Amino acid sequence: MNPEQLSELQIDALREVGSIGAGHAATALSQMLGTAVSLDVPRISLIHVTEVPNVLGGPESLVGAVHCRLLGDISGAILFIASRQDLLSLVDMLRNREPGSTKSLHPDEEALAVHAASILISAYVAAIGRMADISLLPAPASFAFDMLGAILESVTAEVSMKVDTALLILTRFQGTEQSIDAGIFYLPAPDSLEVLLGRLGII
Amino acid sequence: MSAYRENSEWIGPAADVAIYVGTGEFAVASHPDILYTPALGSCIGLTLFDPFRHTGGLAHVMLPTPADSGSRGTLDRFASYAVPRLVELLSEGGARHRLVAKLIGGAAMFKGEGNMASIGDRNAEEVRRQLDLLRIPILAEDTGGSHARTVELHLDTGLVIVRSYLYGMKEL
Repeated sequence: MNPEQLSELQIDALREVGSIGAGHAATALSQMLGTAVSLDVPRISLIHVTEVPNVLGGPESLVGAVHCRLLGDISGAILFIASRQDLLSLVDMLRNREPGSTKSLHPDEEALAVHAASILISAYVAAIGRMADISLLPAPASFAFDMLGAILESVTAEVSMKVDTALLILTRFQGTEQSIDAGIFYLPAPDSLEVLLGRLGII
Repeated sequence: MSAYRENSEWIGPAADVAIYVGTGEFAVASHPDILYTPALGSCIGLTLFDPFRHTGGLAHVMLPTPADSGSRGTLDRFASYAVPRLVELLSEGGARHRLVAKLIGGAAMFKGEGNMASIGDRNAEEVRRQLDLLRIPILAEDTGGSHARTVELHLDTGLVIVRSYLYGMKEL
């Protein structure tokens, strides 16, 4: 299903799903940190997968990505993408360090960032599952730190290029001292978007 | 004319000579143009070069065969289609025996996932098989690993420049 084939109402419904999911993710992050994390959702949109690199600074921009396949009544993939700097800020926040003190990603810091991202993904997925009353589970997360274009390409190749639409949720997690910009993508397998909309009662 | 633009984080080919090849596409060009494709992950960048006419082609192959995808859409992204097509485009006037190939890409971007790791390898395998069927020699390869690559094919000498965050610039 292409973004152009969706009605206004359907796009609104998917936006709503996206922002509720992001809200749950922020709650999860607050609980992990023990401090309030507020959340802004500057942009939720349905876009073509091929446009994704342009939204996030070009195919060659260096990003960290956490990828989970979705298992259950609907399938697809969820991707958490943040730029190198935002990923370092996330580690700062999680480790309770001074902003800007993490300079590089060591294996334990990488593991921490991946773990945090997969908790955010789980919270997000759980919210969608509850809303639409479907069973939905993320598979174990995998991590990559490289060019954005290559990461997206590998993920779409893995879902056999059946994906043409991505639900993009640009989120800004606002902590007490710093903020983190991240993109959460839901790449639905074909027909999954229809199933989701059907369960929400909007066909 | 400088082949490079300045003041950019990545130094890529200048806009007036660069021909961009997107994911799942292929293109043919002649000197002084430079064919380039950014950010190869599990995909394969295949370059073909005809040293006599300074002509060449670049394909950005996504999947091995149409059997690997259930969806409609262009066939250009499959190795089993793109490789013979690109060779055909460059074979005018009996040039096929002059063509030489180089292979780049086919990485496994994500750590810790079995199925996903194999797509890059399968892509490389299918491209090699197709080239073998067409009797085109592979001069160089930079495949596998787990890092992204950007590829440029310079059509004056057939030089291929591979750039990555892990290894910087590499010439093939």
